[in-house]
Amino acid sequence: MASVRVVTVDRNTYPGIYPILIGLKITLMNMIRTVFLRQAATIQFPEQKRVSSGRYRGIHLLTAREDGTPKCVACYMCATACPAECIYIESGERPEESIEKYPTRFEIDLLRCVYCGFCVDACPEEAIMMSRENDLVGTTRAELIIDRDRLMERGKLAEYGPGYRPSDHDVRRPVRIAALERLKKEHGIVPGMPGR
Amino acid sequence: MPTFTIDGKQLEVPTGTTVIQAALAAGIYVPYFCWHPDLPVDGNCRMCLVEIERMPKLQIACNTQVTDGMVVRTNSEKAAQARRSTLEFLLVNHPIDCPVCDQAGECYLQDQYMKVGLHDSKIEIEEKVKKRKVVDLGPIMLDAERCVLCSRCLRYESTVTGTNSLQFVNRGNVTQIATFENRPIEHEYAGNLADVCPVGALLSSDFRFKMRVWFLKESESVCPGCSTGCNIYVDQRDDVPERLRPRRNVEVNKSWMCDPGRALYKEIAVTSRVSGARLKQAKGWKGTSVAAALDEIGSWLKGSGNSVAFVASPQATNEDLFAFSVLARSVGGLLDFRVGDPQLRVRERLDQVLQRADRNPNTQGALDLGLARDGVDQIVKRCAAGQIKALVLLGPELLRNPANLDALAKVPFIAVMATHEGPELDRVHAILPLAMWAEVEGTFTNYQRRVQRLRKAVAAPGDARPGWELAAGLLQRSGGTLAATSAREVFARLAQAVPDYTALDYKLIGSTGRALRLPDAAAAEARV
Repeated sequence: MASVRVVTVDRNTYPGIYPILIGLKITLMNMIRTVFLRQAATIQFPEQKRVSSGRYRGIHLLTAREDGTPKCVACYMCATACPAECIYIESGERPEESIEKYPTRFEIDLLRCVYCGFCVDACPEEAIMMSRENDLVGTTRAELIIDRDRLMERGKLAEYGPGYRPSDHDVRRPVRIAALERLKKEHGIVPGMPGR
Repeated sequence: MPTFTIDGKQLEVPTGTTVIQAALAAGIYVPYFCWHPDLPVDGNCRMCLVEIERMPKLQIACNTQVTDGMVVRTNSEKAAQARRSTLEFLLVNHPIDCPVCDQAGECYLQDQYMKVGLHDSKIEIEEKVKKRKVVDLGPIMLDAERCVLCSRCLRYESTVTGTNSLQFVNRGNVTQIATFENRPIEHEYAGNLADVCPVGALLSSDFRFKMRVWFLKESESVCPGCSTGCNIYVDQRDDVPERLRPRRNVEVNKSWMCDPGRALYKEIAVTSRVSGARLKQAKGWKGTSVAAALDEIGSWLKGSGNSVAFVASPQATNEDLFAFSVLARSVGGLLDFRVGDPQLRVRERLDQVLQRADRNPNTQGALDLGLARDGVDQIVKRCAAGQIKALVLLGPELLRNPANLDALAKVPFIAVMATHEGPELDRVHAILPLAMWAEVEGTFTNYQRRVQRLRKAVAAPGDARPGWELAAGLLQRSGGTLAATSAREVFARLAQAVPDYTALDYKLIGSTGRALRLPDAAAAEARV
């Protein structure tokens, strides 16, 4: 039989307020900072919005030409690159234009989207980019499948600012260099003509 | 039989073989634009340059015949550089259209740029020579800027169809292809122009902007449009066929198919398909399960004794026809398939290229399986005399002839296996949903008596199922058994029962089919 050691705690002493204050040190400091110094980390969403980086990957945008038609030429590169298969495109003939193809339908299912930004990387026309808009609310699934016209609304862009986009070249250059080096290593191919 | 060396491999090839043929057969990659296995050699694109020992200059592989002791190097530094330069020349005036070009994904320029090019362009977009774009030639859209002037389309037009509607116009770097006065291409083989075009200069109007090709999955199949039985690919995405493409078979269709055949995919994924079984009742149609409909038809067959008739269709596969004939023999009664006498036209040509007058893919198969038995006229006559109590149709052809209607009105029970809804289906009492050719495994026997395989490309709509499965269901309800649970097994039963098919199975038929012996007179008629 193993012996049992009994510990007795005297619960009849009065430690005073001091240990309590030690325990609440962080809380009290935060209270002082919030209530008296007005330095709270909390923001009053949705009245206040947090400032996010220019590379933030929020809800997508379709950019427009000067005449207001979408820049998109319906090449399906974004739909091909999309790992979540959330982009649905139908293409049609753009009449009387030098670029013959344009999307008659362009829908993104924001509930399926994983916001990876591959669509932006894949786009050859800088037609799709991401905004910093991130508050996604709807009462049905259907209204979170956003169509071409909603993707082209410019008001949101002014409100939130552009997010991840191809003109953000510093993001993309290392990727391109890596791709070229891989081609050289795996296939022995040097871009450019010999002797250049 | 010259023996030669290519990239260190010793090969023996038949006399007259060109270097490119030998290389491709040996699995050695040689890039090319203007060479095509079924067109005369032109040698204008200069893309297939290879180095051959004891020849002072690089040679084009497509127009150099293999000689004994020849030593060919396809991937020497000299050849690779020459090809890269050739490709750069071809791309000098090529527009940056890949994002909007339907050829992207199956474009020779793209493939070869990735394999042998990867150079940076020395030409600014503004400097490129502009040519005509978006020229509507009827079934074909012409974009002269994308053209590499390989002349494949010209040679196709002159040697295959004999129409010569396309020609080169102008000279130098403003050369382009054109039809006279932009007239549309009017023959029934225009779709092949889009296929022979290695780039996006000639594209199908029908497929225009419909789908990027890399989303499509292909299945080998056989065109059901006529008794020629052209080998095809069914390209589908998400169970919707998007286009049909010819599949090369030197014995049947070479690399071609006709435009009416190409359009047949449009009948598959449509809303007018029969997707469930129906029984006619006093108050109108009532949808049922296939099993319930089979029960009903089975009880009519049982109650009718010998007064039944079966009419098959040459649209059905050999498997369907075999199961149907087993059913007819087991129940007893009349059997035939020759509605409109397709057997008389099975080898009759409609033109000098591919099409045949018999618009059924499997008339020869139905004849081989002994379905030409009692005569359709005889069956209709017996119906008119009120001697037929139950009529089972594999396909609604019999119902479409207005001359038969009075006779058919006297039959108390008609069951039809149908693929599409139509006014003729109102005249029957039970409808079974039948899967179409692209939705089943099976075989067709073409006019040459060549047995060729169909593969399932897309799922059948709703409850629709292959004809042999429906026939097996009826057979089971009338006390027989087919002893087969797949098309492959049905074919094995068929091979046991039909003398000429004895040696065949699906593996042996393979992707290009197996020809059976034709009677001499018919063979002369069927010569390609």
